[in-house]
Amino acid sequence: MTKRFSTSRLLSFLTYGVTTSMGLILFIYPFLFPALTQKSTLGQARLTEMPLLITLLLALCLVVLLYEVQGQAVDTKLIALLGILVAINSALRFMEVAIPGPAGFSPIFFLIILTGYVFGGRFGFLLGVLTIFVSAIVTGGVGPWLPSQMFAAGWVGMSAPLCRPLVNKLDGEGKISEVIILAVFGALWGLGYGVIMNLWTWPFIAGPTDQYWQTGISWVEILQRYGAYYLITSLAWDFIRAAGNFLLILLLGAPTLIALRRFKHRFTFTYRSSDSQGSKLDQTGDAS
Amino acid sequence: MISFQNVSFSYPDSERPAIQNINLEVAPGTLALVIGESGSGKSTLLRCVNGLVPHFSGGSLQGNVRVNGLDPVQATPKVMSRHVGFIFQDPEAQFVVDRVEDEIAFALENFALPAEEIRMRVAEVLDLLSLKALRYRRLETLSGGERQRVAMATALVMRPEVLVLDEPTSQLDPKSAHDVLETLVRLNRTLDLTVLLAEHRIERVLPFADQLIALNVEGNGGISGPPRQVFTQTDITPPVVTLGKELGWQPLPMTVEEGRKFIPDIESRTPKSETIPTPVSHKGEPFLQIHDLEVRYGNQIILDRVNLDLLQGEILVLMGPNGAGKTTLLRTIVGLLQPAKGKVIAGGVDISNKRMDEICRAVGYLPQDPNALLFADSALEELMITLRNHAGKMDAAGEQEADRTARALLERLELINQADDYPRDLSVGQRQRVALGAITVTKPKTLLLDEPTRGLDYGAKQSLAQLLRGWRDEGMAILLVTHDVELAAEVADRAAILKQGKISSCGDPSRVMRSSVRFTPQIARLFPYTDWLTVQDALIGIRQIFS
Amino acid sequence: MIHTWAWIGWLISALVALSITRNPLYLFLILLCIALVGWTQERRLSSESSQTQNLLPFSPFKFVLVIITLSALFNAVISHFGETVLFSLPEWLPFLGGPITLEALAFGAINGLVLGGIFAAFTVLNLALPVRSLVRLIPRAYYPVAVITSIAITFIPNATRQFHHIREAQAIRGHRVRGLRGWLPLIMPLLVGGLERALGLAEAMTARGFASSEGGNQTSQTRLGMVLGLLMLFGGWLLRLIEGGQLLGIGLMILGITLIAAMLWSIGRSVPRTNYNQEIWRFRDFLVLIGSMGVISAFLLPIPWIDQSILHYNPYPILNLPGFDPLIGAATMGLLIPIFIIKPK
Repeated sequence: MTKRFSTSRLLSFLTYGVTTSMGLILFIYPFLFPALTQKSTLGQARLTEMPLLITLLLALCLVVLLYEVQGQAVDTKLIALLGILVAINSALRFMEVAIPGPAGFSPIFFLIILTGYVFGGRFGFLLGVLTIFVSAIVTGGVGPWLPSQMFAAGWVGMSAPLCRPLVNKLDGEGKISEVIILAVFGALWGLGYGVIMNLWTWPFIAGPTDQYWQTGISWVEILQRYGAYYLITSLAWDFIRAAGNFLLILLLGAPTLIALRRFKHRFTFTYRSSDSQGSKLDQTGDAS
Repeated sequence: MISFQNVSFSYPDSERPAIQNINLEVAPGTLALVIGESGSGKSTLLRCVNGLVPHFSGGSLQGNVRVNGLDPVQATPKVMSRHVGFIFQDPEAQFVVDRVEDEIAFALENFALPAEEIRMRVAEVLDLLSLKALRYRRLETLSGGERQRVAMATALVMRPEVLVLDEPTSQLDPKSAHDVLETLVRLNRTLDLTVLLAEHRIERVLPFADQLIALNVEGNGGISGPPRQVFTQTDITPPVVTLGKELGWQPLPMTVEEGRKFIPDIESRTPKSETIPTPVSHKGEPFLQIHDLEVRYGNQIILDRVNLDLLQGEILVLMGPNGAGKTTLLRTIVGLLQPAKGKVIAGGVDISNKRMDEICRAVGYLPQDPNALLFADSALEELMITLRNHAGKMDAAGEQEADRTARALLERLELINQADDYPRDLSVGQRQRVALGAITVTKPKTLLLDEPTRGLDYGAKQSLAQLLRGWRDEGMAILLVTHDVELAAEVADRAAILKQGKISSCGDPSRVMRSSVRFTPQIARLFPYTDWLTVQDALIGIRQIFS
Repeated sequence: MIHTWAWIGWLISALVALSITRNPLYLFLILLCIALVGWTQERRLSSESSQTQNLLPFSPFKFVLVIITLSALFNAVISHFGETVLFSLPEWLPFLGGPITLEALAFGAINGLVLGGIFAAFTVLNLALPVRSLVRLIPRAYYPVAVITSIAITFIPNATRQFHHIREAQAIRGHRVRGLRGWLPLIMPLLVGGLERALGLAEAMTARGFASSEGGNQTSQTRLGMVLGLLMLFGGWLLRLIEGGQLLGIGLMILGITLIAAMLWSIGRSVPRTNYNQEIWRFRDFLVLIGSMGVISAFLLPIPWIDQSILHYNPYPILNLPGFDPLIGAATMGLLIPIFIIKPK
């Protein structure tokens, strides 16, 4: 029994590791490749197809990761809960026109981070990925940007439990420090999400040569060029997103955490059969 | 078919059992009604039949439940779903897919039936429930009644032997409720389907019920048997039955038609033109004046030159068919909608130019779904939030004053013991009272209520009636929109009917409510030549005649 | 209408063509074909009274023009290669300083054509496929995800309506939305109401026989298979970038994709469910598919009598006229086939 248990954990670790590192490489390849391909005499063909191919690889990476996260069995309660929360989050995404916010401000990360934090990384991942997916389908916004957006949003949710040890080390749950930590986390990811998406769009916008690589140039130079691109295009947006996340979590985080924790309790239960000597089937809905 | 033997059950977090020592049998083909106050365990009982209790809810179940030979505890809800179909209260919250046809097929897909079989069964059940026209429609475009019928289709497509329904009509308007119940009775008769139905408003189904199961709040025992027999042992009875019990009519009439048999000797002694003296009037000056109000939605006219006055110290009941514009009227009065023409005057002030938060200090409005209001951690906090909204920044003295006001109101609402409870965990009736508190804590001069009786049991309705009467006696002007004619009969000082955007009649309740059968309470239908509306009226009147 | 997978094939062919060539003549032709198909789809949607999804708030055609223009300008000011100088910006400006050349402008415009084409192709997909079809694309191995998606799509209108109810309810107790804090009384009831509703929905699903364990059997083998397939894919891609690793790279990539697909298929088979509403593959779908394959072959496969070097065009160092092979041009018209599929009355 323990042997199978550790195989499972090993596979889990392997999958998360491979997909995460692959994802990272696929996003930052503009910085790595000139050095790598220094010796090659690739024709332009290779370069023109790169952005789309990267997107395809990202999509497949996501496919594998999604399979792993979905897991062996998904509880009916969790499916229902995810379905409803994805709906609410998607509605918030395109409802921000009713409550106006500046461009870049995106209310979806608020729930993704908080539910990932309370219900676990798997839950946060699924909420992130599916919010993007569902809101894209429903608004007719399916496009090649989806895999990157889904991946990035999934990472946001999946990494939220990382705040837990820090919170425990400080004041613990239910204190103001918890909300502050989560708010800072939200701000960082507000920037991070923008950086990732921007990295993905860069090769598209910049075109295959000149802008980001010539064979043989150093990665420092590339970083400089990317910096310029980033400054011009998305810094303002990302800053607003980061600030928006920070404020939303700071102001609304505490009551939301209370509500989520209250319900977390209801999504787990113990069933005892009438003959109390019988087996106690413990089924938890905790998706960490 | 269904048997309970010494069944008791407690939810995981409570010490008190939800149901205790339930013993009953339901024979195949029976239509059984389950009645009882909130908290008496009706929902729990129903969920034992298909295994949701204990598999979904957790907790410990004692005793034996058998459904068609199966034990739901052993069989699990998945297996039971082929034998027991379950329909829930909320027509909005049961669906997974957004098209009717796909939704009905969903359950069968779960069982990996071949596609051809699924196709056949879907067609069959669409026919059965007269849903063919709705086959390709999106669920969100359907009315509440249509949606409940689709819910029934999704259950019936599995060809179960039993159909269990937990208050299926409580969120529906009267016409939809009628359609759903009529379909249910037809299914029971033609398919020999065993039906187990929990309802508060049982008048419609009573004529067809073979068995009545009455649970009480203590949760022990529960009485089961033929309706006439059970009614003698319980207090939750429709007006005609209550009257019959009081007057000792035998056999106990279940419907107005049955009750008419006992009327002749009373009728012969009723002076036809006598008017019962009206009680002391608390009515004062008109507080709310609606002049020539016209409200449009696009090019459609919703309210067509409505004129209405609401006096201080009265309860005016507004009734009308679904879609007549009653909710629109209330929303316009409180300022959520702008009228195309006409104006609304509250307390002598034209409110069409006022801001929402100014208006609602004087005009309290309880929307149809009070849950949309509640988000605080405690009932007290809900009331405080409203006070803070209006007061802006409060200093320490202000906070104390607010706290006192809020607590006083909670006392009046009989919620002082729940002051620190999480409002969304309270019962439907209590939640409504918290919501009422949240909008009346500013002591508005007038109160508008939009269909407050949804999901309320008899006791909660009585509490509400008492509360409204209390406020009315203090001079509040109350406008109550409802299709619950019995409650209207209890509290109305005046009544009005809104039909197709126009006020078709307004005035004395006994006259207005008799103008159309759909607005006439049972007692009034029983005694059409009097102006009695409630059981009290009838008892007083009859005793006067015979004294 | 046209089968979902036929549309997917169409999309893939358009994307392949767009990613292979930089020849502005071909790009223009591709864009034209996509635009025509998009136009017919838009007409079809507006003639059918029931709208199933939000159409874009702006005109796609204008958007593509904007993309092309912006890309041209962007490239012109950032990149300073090329021989034909139009004018020069002062050298002290960081990144922007230097000669602005015609070639850079042209290069940017070409890039814009590619981007515009990608965007337009996806727009056509959004117009052609109703939401349900997109959900049905989700492989059976991801059945729980498909159910979640379905629930979400079904619930969104409800959530939006709830939000409006809540806004009104809070307004009538004196709440005014001032800044972000004003969102609290709007989001909380929505969230908590949603959580309560989720419990009710789970109950209803359970009562209809939906059981938790239908997740698609995840065994160690399938998990390993997925990861291995991914590693092969990645390795193959890296190999292609190295000199001489071409064939091995492509082979490995194909192997990787096949492994993943095989895993998904076998997992899907083990999920005990039926798919009720199957789309029927008809002759017209074959036609569309053939058109798509024609495009892919002409652009990708080494066919002896087609000169594919024409597809590679470079405006640097000096602007020159692009070539044109009529055969490839004809193959590109394969993208137009969906126009001719008229709905039978």
